[in-house]
Amino acid sequence: MVWTKWSYMDHWVTETPQGPQPPSFNRAYMDRYVKQLSALGFTGFDTFFFYLHMLGGMYGSVPGFERFLQDNGFEKITGIFSAYPSATRYTAPHVRETHDRIVADCTNTLRMCEGLTGVENFIVMPTSTYHQTEPVTDDTIKVVADLWNRVGRLTLDHGMKTTCHFEFWGAIRTRPQLELFFEYTDPEYVYFFCDTAQHTIAGVDPIQLFRDYSDRCTGFHFKDTKNVDEHEAYRTPPDPELMAPQVTRWFYEMGEGGLVDFPALMKEIVTSGYDGWLTVEHDKAELGGGSYAEATAVAKWYIDNVLAEAEAEARRELEAAR
Amino acid sequence: MRDTLRWAYALNQWNVRLDVFVRHEDQQRALKTVSACGFDTIELASGTGRWDNISRPEVILANHGSHESFLNFLRRAKVRGVSSMFWDPQAPAEEEEGYAFRSTANPADSDAIVEWSKPFVDFLAGVGGEQLVVRPVGSAWMSPPLDADGIKVIGDVWNRIGELASAAGIGLALHYDCLGAVHTEAELTGLLQATDPATVGLALDTAEFTIGGIDPVGFYREHADRVTHVHLKDTRYADTGQEYRMPGAESTMLKGGAGRRIERWFYELGTEGGLVDVKGFVAALRERSFSGWVVVESDHGGNPAELAMLNSWYLQHELGVSKS
Repeated sequence: MVWTKWSYMDHWVTETPQGPQPPSFNRAYMDRYVKQLSALGFTGFDTFFFYLHMLGGMYGSVPGFERFLQDNGFEKITGIFSAYPSATRYTAPHVRETHDRIVADCTNTLRMCEGLTGVENFIVMPTSTYHQTEPVTDDTIKVVADLWNRVGRLTLDHGMKTTCHFEFWGAIRTRPQLELFFEYTDPEYVYFFCDTAQHTIAGVDPIQLFRDYSDRCTGFHFKDTKNVDEHEAYRTPPDPELMAPQVTRWFYEMGEGGLVDFPALMKEIVTSGYDGWLTVEHDKAELGGGSYAEATAVAKWYIDNVLAEAEAEARRELEAAR
Repeated sequence: MRDTLRWAYALNQWNVRLDVFVRHEDQQRALKTVSACGFDTIELASGTGRWDNISRPEVILANHGSHESFLNFLRRAKVRGVSSMFWDPQAPAEEEEGYAFRSTANPADSDAIVEWSKPFVDFLAGVGGEQLVVRPVGSAWMSPPLDADGIKVIGDVWNRIGELASAAGIGLALHYDCLGAVHTEAELTGLLQATDPATVGLALDTAEFTIGGIDPVGFYREHADRVTHVHLKDTRYADTGQEYRMPGAESTMLKGGAGRRIERWFYELGTEGGLVDVKGFVAALRERSFSGWVVVESDHGGNPAELAMLNSWYLQHELGVSKS
């Protein structure tokens, strides 16, 4: 058996007559983007909540876009990513008074997904930036947990699991903070989304984290990094992702000499019995002259050749142990 | 690609300037891209100098030590081998008598060009390639129109190189291009008649033919016995105004410096408004059980990885080719 549930998280940039732009530049560019992912064999598609209106306009409706995906060999839209990276006076997960507004936003996003085949993950950044949230106390984490418990109950009514994607620059980033958050959230409503690079940068072993929370894990972002944050870059205001003085590019595609041990993770996934989607994400792949297209092809090559072998090895070991 | 036709992919679009595509890790990424798109065989294109280390035979060998080591370099990315290599003896190269600027149209240059071909023949034989794909003559704007005698001079050079190649166990395929001095269908047919069918074949490039005003499907059907190699790509334009005769047509025509100012002529398969009947052409190849390599190309295009993926999509979804 070969893992077939590989999805792609929509971050692309492509060259247009108006300079490098997301493929949503126009319908023709979007069509070409989907065809490229299809050629490589991706069958799931994740996107941001703020793209849904644009996709609806471009393809008649969000389900219309999903039909285009399906015409090109995709199974469906698998995940919707929602986030408030910057805290504002309207929306800040650590500020209880803004929760009603955030829940209303999530309701609107869910409405945009009506008619889709079956989005599985409602992926959220649990907090805004660390520097806007600190000091991060147990109570801060409790407030944040309360919000996602509410949202989790809501999304489950629409068939989607609210699943938390932690950033290295977010307010919940260390192992103790993560443990407390999972303790404060209801396992029935709030799940874990494992971004391999983000946890590694934050100094948390993503494989061990998955091992410990595999029963709550509903997805992954397979991406790599070459740096652990050793200079408290996560506290850099206003933004550590692009403005950290010591590290100009944090994220890399798999197989390029990064820190994440993807074959070991793949074996762990197979051994755990996880059977959900595995998502490839490239974030800021254009930094240093990189190309999203090539990064995606190289990552899929790594999946088809290196991870496929790790998966097969894990299955052989499972079989032998029976 | 798993099919009755044999598919390969050309690397030329990655090597767009002298000073890029030099580091081995960049080349590995391109090879992995091609592999991830379903192609396990590649076509190389000649170049010159120390930076053309996946192009110039001597430089490839200087980098990798041997043919086998170079093949192992390809295999690291799950690319199985080399189908073919493109060479233009008119293109300036320091290895060829230090930029001697010779031409197949000049009888006095024949001996030197035959000599220049040897590293390519030897290299291809060493890596198990099947076709040396060559530009038979320089650009039309650089010389007076060719008459039958002029075409015979060109044919004679390629007959000599065809013999050399044949002795080494490889084929020689003349690649028509839209700027070449052999331009019309009559001139191309004349060149084929001036060469030995036993040792000299034709590389049919669907976009170059279309731009040059020759129907690739019709020509293939009529000359299938001479077509030994294919370059498959599309174009949105034909050269309806004889722009190929403009001075500096490599830039004035193909880069939009003058004339209709078309800055890009070559496109991926399935491009909107493409003029090539790709499905009809591939169907014709199938009808005649074409046994050579069909090399998908994206030269003079855009981002090479994007184009490789779009070409792969077209093969899988429009031509019914299984990726694996």
